[in-house]
Amino acid sequence: MDAFLTVTLVVVIALAFDFTNGFHDTANAMATSVATGALKPKVAVTISAVLNLVGAFLSTEVAKTVSDGIIREGDGGVRVTPTMIFAGLVGAVLWNLTTWYLGLPSSSSHALFGGLIGAAIIGAGFDSVNFPVVLSKIVLPALLAPLVAGVVALLATYAAYRITKMASTRGSEAGFRHGQTVSASLVSLAHGTNDAQKTMGVITLTLIAAGYQGSGSGPQFWVIISCALAIALGTYVGGWRIMRTVGKRIIDVKAPQGFAAETSSAATILISSHLGFALSTTQVTSGSIVGAGLGKKLASVHWGVVGKIATAWVVTLPAAALVGGLAAWVASGSTLGLIGVAVAALAGGLAFFYFARKHPVNHKNVNETDEETRDAETVGSTAGAGAAASTTRIDEGK
Amino acid sequence: MFGQLIIRPLTEAPEGAFLGVDWGAFVVVFAVALLATVAVVVFYALGLRLLAGGALDPVADSDGTAATAGTTVARRSGVRLAGAYTCFAVGAAAVLYGLYLIIPQFH
Repeated sequence: MDAFLTVTLVVVIALAFDFTNGFHDTANAMATSVATGALKPKVAVTISAVLNLVGAFLSTEVAKTVSDGIIREGDGGVRVTPTMIFAGLVGAVLWNLTTWYLGLPSSSSHALFGGLIGAAIIGAGFDSVNFPVVLSKIVLPALLAPLVAGVVALLATYAAYRITKMASTRGSEAGFRHGQTVSASLVSLAHGTNDAQKTMGVITLTLIAAGYQGSGSGPQFWVIISCALAIALGTYVGGWRIMRTVGKRIIDVKAPQGFAAETSSAATILISSHLGFALSTTQVTSGSIVGAGLGKKLASVHWGVVGKIATAWVVTLPAAALVGGLAAWVASGSTLGLIGVAVAALAGGLAFFYFARKHPVNHKNVNETDEETRDAETVGSTAGAGAAASTTRIDEGK
Repeated sequence: MFGQLIIRPLTEAPEGAFLGVDWGAFVVVFAVALLATVAVVVFYALGLRLLAGGALDPVADSDGTAATAGTTVARRSGVRLAGAYTCFAVGAAAVLYGLYLIIPQFH
């Protein structure tokens, strides 16, 4: 009975994680298209949801281990128990909701790894974590992803503006908007094939560990269907708070920048995952947008917002690990503790939604800028704005 | 199609990897992503410019640099159009290749 309860809770929270993953990452693919008006907000999330759903069905191969080598699993290592997976997922979901509430794009996979690391440390000690792998698979790629995508997007944006004479040739704005929609759709499809699969893997490996499924078999059909639906539903509901940050607050994205940024994201994600050097979708797209801002005007990037996002990335792993560790500590003691963690996680999740409703961001007001960036905007992007701005604005010789 | 398990081996870091990162693969990713993106964006932008045939948008962009642009006469010709569509074809080919990369059933 205990095992059945644990497995049920893992499945439920894994689907909740999948939902927050879609919810969080809609912004990666669609924020720039929404910001430039290439797609109406509701249309954008619908396209992204459908492509995520399709993507989830296209790719159903699951990894051999839950943590991809970050935790020393298997022969001579620790056994990742369903309770540890449950605790790790609690950490990941709560961290995803925290960053959503703050409107910050952060990597869902890093949150999951963080949660699992915390749970493993509590469950099996520090030795269970393979720290060199944490460095090579999480820390360094997190530094390299935005750098690569940023440089690529910078050059592409510069080229796009040069060739179309600052987007003044007839039809170029509209043309870039169409192009942007296509690149963004590729990002969405790629996201569906990568991310739904992660949750399928977690559920399948839990079922195998609990003996409900033969070792070495693939995800069951109900697992595939429910993961695909959870990520698509999350995408459709849409993390509008994050979308506003990505589309309007880092830079106020214009069509040529959106096209260059999305093309850079799509190319970087596809090429990196095919040459065996996987990079996080969130970090690639955020880097692309900063690069697209730099490619047009150096001063128009809101570095304060970029700083907050970077801080969130640094904090993601330890924060999720802390919650995951705490959850593992309480949940591993008794069935009552396990249920207690589930109830606390539910209450925590609902609290975020409750507080978010006090100042909601939705499809209606996603493109409005707030106080903080409006001030910065008059400084950064309005040419010849005012004497007050002259110290920070980079003179372009016009 | 469904329910088929393909176990991915945990790839071992190759010789010469520093800090566990295969920097050779990283440089290749960077170079290919850069080339592909810049090629697609340059061709697409060229296509848009050829399609416009030298005409400028009457609405100036935020800089106000193109305030008098509406008066420019469009010079559309067959050659320009053919060039524009060739440029767009490069973009379309890149999208198809992207789909090929995304969909595992193709390889």
